[in-house]
Amino acid sequence: MSQTTALTDTGSAPADLGASEPVLAVENFALTFSANAPANLIDGISFTVERGKTLCIVGESGCGKSVTSLALMGLLSSPPARILSGTARFEGRDLFSLPEREKVNLRGNGMAMIFQEPMTSLNPAFTVGHQIAEGITRHRGLPKAEARREALRMLEWVRIPAAAKRLDAYPHQLSGGMRQRVMIAMALANRPRLLIADEPTTALDVTIQAQILDLIRHIQEETGTAVILITHDLGVVAEVADRVAVMYAGHIVEQGSVSEIFANPQHPYTIGLFGSIPSLGRRQGQLATIKGAVPPLDLMPKGCRFAPRCPFADRRCMDEVPPAAELAEGHSVACWYAPIEEKMGTRQ
Amino acid sequence: MSNSPHDATPILEGRDLAKRFGGRRGLFQSEPTVHAVNGVSISVAAGETFAIVGESGCGKSTLARLLLRLIEPSEGQVFYQGREITKLGAGEMRALRRELQIIFQDPFASLNPRMTVGAIVAEPIRLHGLARGRAVDERVAELLRVVGLRPEYADRYPHEFSGGQRQRIGIARALAGEPKLIIGDEPVSALDVSVQAQVINLLETLKEQFGLTLVIVAHDLAVIRHMSDRVAVMYLGEVVEMSPVDALYEMPLHPYTQALLQAIPVPVPGGRGAHDLPQGDIPSPTAPPPGCRFHTRCPHAQERCSEEHPALETAGEGRVVACHFWRDIQAAANPPAPVREGSAKLAERLELYRAHQTRREEETAAAAALD
Repeated sequence: MSQTTALTDTGSAPADLGASEPVLAVENFALTFSANAPANLIDGISFTVERGKTLCIVGESGCGKSVTSLALMGLLSSPPARILSGTARFEGRDLFSLPEREKVNLRGNGMAMIFQEPMTSLNPAFTVGHQIAEGITRHRGLPKAEARREALRMLEWVRIPAAAKRLDAYPHQLSGGMRQRVMIAMALANRPRLLIADEPTTALDVTIQAQILDLIRHIQEETGTAVILITHDLGVVAEVADRVAVMYAGHIVEQGSVSEIFANPQHPYTIGLFGSIPSLGRRQGQLATIKGAVPPLDLMPKGCRFAPRCPFADRRCMDEVPPAAELAEGHSVACWYAPIEEKMGTRQ
Repeated sequence: MSNSPHDATPILEGRDLAKRFGGRRGLFQSEPTVHAVNGVSISVAAGETFAIVGESGCGKSTLARLLLRLIEPSEGQVFYQGREITKLGAGEMRALRRELQIIFQDPFASLNPRMTVGAIVAEPIRLHGLARGRAVDERVAELLRVVGLRPEYADRYPHEFSGGQRQRIGIARALAGEPKLIIGDEPVSALDVSVQAQVINLLETLKEQFGLTLVIVAHDLAVIRHMSDRVAVMYLGEVVEMSPVDALYEMPLHPYTQALLQAIPVPVPGGRGAHDLPQGDIPSPTAPPPGCRFHTRCPHAQERCSEEHPALETAGEGRVVACHFWRDIQAAANPPAPVREGSAKLAERLELYRAHQTRREEETAAAAALD
């Protein structure tokens, strides 16, 4: 990649965190949308993200990955959303018990979010320059002209060609890839320490997707921002993740380093998911499938939520939630029968 | 799988197809002309799976609709089993439609929400007089079973089903007319990975079972490699390369095909390695660049590329490519590294997973037989 404008720090350096101190630590987070729901939508999940690292949360529609990110950003209206348990410590402060005023200050400043469809998150009535400058003024109190200069610098930084001209463009005048770059510029304008990206490349063509993934990686190297990237695409995960959390129906069923998850996937859902993706290599017979579909909340088993679709499940799986067990360093799996070749290989 | 698409009359053929949209002159302003498809010729052999791949705006969906005459071409002809269909009258065309079916991307938008699933699937049967009275219901029940849905679902409405189930309903409806050829326009791209795999397997099974020819329009290169025999790569309304599937993925000739293959994230950490991505955006089809349409993004572009439009030329067995410099690029380039497969542990566990799954199915089937 050529001509990138370096983003020199302007004094708003992030608090110096110890190397081992995570930027965000979520513990036992549970959430529901209705007081008398038969099961929790998010049911006790825990994960951490470290400075300069990327955590990928991977899962299919309805697994709760987007709801989790919205809850962290404080973007779910309550009611109907209700946090039942858990903490989310961002640089030591619990996001779930923060007063609204402080949350507003943190949003777009300490932590920022980008979405799948940039067109729905950009205001069609204002120029992109105006929208980027707005956040800069709001959080850093810069005068208008300076905020505009800063907005231009951000557009150059995310490699928008002819940035000075684009500053006065309206969102509809830009392509999908350009809009996503604008979103990224806006999200990063105040140097957040955590960026949450919810399917940031899903709506983009593959050549444009590759550009955006490169950009996120590059930005992260330069700023040390921690990233939570939410995706359903295991190819994207392999490319950007340091750590991976696999979500299924409101549980994290498996998490570990990206190399562990890809070399040594343990949970039957993770295995089925890998088997479902066609390879770019020569064809090797029919794809493996995961039978059926995610059950609705009123049919959710008390135990492992994957049990009704799992080829290994028995009575115990239906009734008792398997605890997350650490099978290798930093690699935990919530399955009664992992590793399956030891526990299930010989059983008839 | 067909080995020699050249021996017999192709089942479906498009010759020099072009489609332009817009271009009307208004009082104050004239509408821009979109060159959606420009001079495309393809032929599909009976029994093969032919894929059309490209990014948004490349004209792949427009081409699919032209091939079925769902829209009329601005130029060119379409032949079905050697007979030109671009000139057929409405009545004759309607009779043909039974044999040429389409499945759409969005199973939410393509099923009438006010009709029951049974009525949706029965419509083509009644329309083409394939069955009457009770026999229609029996046929609907059979079709639902074929696509993996319960026959009792016939009384329900589309909104009661998940995305994957709706796509199965769309497939059942397409099968109802007893077609010879089905075009799938992004048939699995709106589905979750695990559901996508179910539908891909279903399409493959049905193809075998009913001797169908499939034309798959898609942007997902992994899905295409898995499903198809031959592939046409489109860029801005034109076919830039056409090839048997393995040759295309193992030795892509056109710089655009190379770029596409380099850009896909591979589900193996560190699998994609270093790469030169095409810079910039896809130009607007209202103002396609002169010469080779890819030259504005091509890392190998030279002066000639912006002036002279490259014609498709033969490049080996069953392959064509439209690039002035494909031989030079080919000579200079290293073939892409073979795709690294998943880990041994994964393979072992996946085998166990499949074995247990099969055993469960057999047990369920045996239990059902006892009832």
